[in-house]
Amino acid sequence: MKLWKIFAAGLVASLFAAAGASAQPKDWSTIKIATEGAYKPWNFTDSSGKLIGFEIDLAEDLCKRMKARCEIVAQAFDGVIPALNAGKFDAIMAGMNITDKRKEAIAFTQTYGRTPSTFAVLKSNALAKLPDAGKVYSLNPDGVVAAEKSLNDLKPLLKGKVIGVQTSTAQANFLEKYFKDVIEIRQYKTTEQHDLDLAAGRVDAVFASISYLKSVVEAPENKEMMLAGPRYGGGALGFGVAVGLRKTDPELLAKFDAAVGAAVADGTVKTLSMKWFGFDITPVR
Amino acid sequence: MIDYVDLMGFGPKGWGPLMLQATLMTVAVSATAFALGSGVGALIAWARIEGHSLLQLAADAYTTVLRGIPDLLVIYLLYFGGSAALTALAHALGAKGFVGVDAFAAGAIAVGIISGAYQSEIFRGAYQAIARGELEAARAVGMSRWLMFRRIIVPQALRFAIPGLGNVWQLALKESALISVVGLTELLRQAQVGAGSTRQPFAFFITAAALYLVLSTLSGWGFRRAEAVGMRGVRRS
Repeated sequence: MKLWKIFAAGLVASLFAAAGASAQPKDWSTIKIATEGAYKPWNFTDSSGKLIGFEIDLAEDLCKRMKARCEIVAQAFDGVIPALNAGKFDAIMAGMNITDKRKEAIAFTQTYGRTPSTFAVLKSNALAKLPDAGKVYSLNPDGVVAAEKSLNDLKPLLKGKVIGVQTSTAQANFLEKYFKDVIEIRQYKTTEQHDLDLAAGRVDAVFASISYLKSVVEAPENKEMMLAGPRYGGGALGFGVAVGLRKTDPELLAKFDAAVGAAVADGTVKTLSMKWFGFDITPVR
Repeated sequence: MIDYVDLMGFGPKGWGPLMLQATLMTVAVSATAFALGSGVGALIAWARIEGHSLLQLAADAYTTVLRGIPDLLVIYLLYFGGSAALTALAHALGAKGFVGVDAFAAGAIAVGIISGAYQSEIFRGAYQAIARGELEAARAVGMSRWLMFRRIIVPQALRFAIPGLGNVWQLALKESALISVVGLTELLRQAQVGAGSTRQPFAFFITAAALYLVLSTLSGWGFRRAEAVGMRGVRRS
């Protein structure tokens, strides 16, 4: 009898230890921001374990503007939205594109970066000769007709091909929406996993943000990879990268939104973008 | 090769310290989970052997459910669902804001309660391997249930349980990799972060595999030693 009491007491104690209360005051003098920490150059980790990258620098700048003390934590990307809504942290800055689907779950500020998405292939693959290389199409209402024509032109060329994409991303939704019936979509947990399968020839192409793919094809060990085909942005691919917040925190949304607007307006975003990407990702308004 | 040594070494650009730290985290979270699982497992085994029919039913349900659903699902339920439930509870009690379940705690408890389901079966089997005559003899000399448990049951049951527990420990060690999804920086998560940050996925995943292998080899040796010690008074036919 005694014995089970000891076990029960231990179990209850460990449950209470688990409930390390992190109830916060809501004046937003301290903000906890989540990032992925493995998405170079947006946000990644150096060999001392420190988070670095475009969004880390930008977060520091935004927090200065909001006069808040910020803590940045790393979190796996595929659980980041439920974790935000469960209250693990207050904001997401993880190279996350605004999409209609995500807007159902969380709120977004205005964008601080916009990069189109494109294909990367092996130079030896037939897809290396996709037409319109480097041309940018917008899926927003103003350019959607031309974009959809280009997508229809691509369909016969992509027929039966296997294309890798990171799961629960805007890019995955895009492939589902436009190419579902002609290609085989293979989803990966992280982008570097689909790169490995591209290098191994297990997929014909990968589809991802150009800001990411550019640094992949430029890496010395990926000499046989290249970017191919047209680039797409807007619409199902997202309206740009922004800070994600809970819908129940309108005051924090207003603060972040103003700070992002100011950082875009005074050129801070451009400066940081040149530093980390080597090109300007400032969204055009 | 030189590149690899630089990358995984302990120099200024080396990821060695981080990978080792993550290995320790893997050991810590697995060991916590395993210990928790031993507690839960012993409790469940007791319920199945001695409990009332209702208790037995509950214990049966526990082992069936937890061995039957994916471990990843249990982790998600505890980490995301646990926070939501605790927050609702806190609000009901008048508190404001969010109550979080720590990633380590959620992970250790998730792997622990799964491990407990497996361990309960091992403990039950080990108990049943004890000669009935020994238990009857203990009762006949007037031992209390606690004394009988301590002197007769535990020393013998544990001896039979060691090989099975070794397997369950290996399971816990590998299941701990699933906790990477909730952001705990254990070995697999660290390897993913390193791979994404340096664009050298091979180096990181191979290193992580090697470190897991070191852990399982060392602990396998430990369990064999424990078995040898436990069985030292038993003559094998």
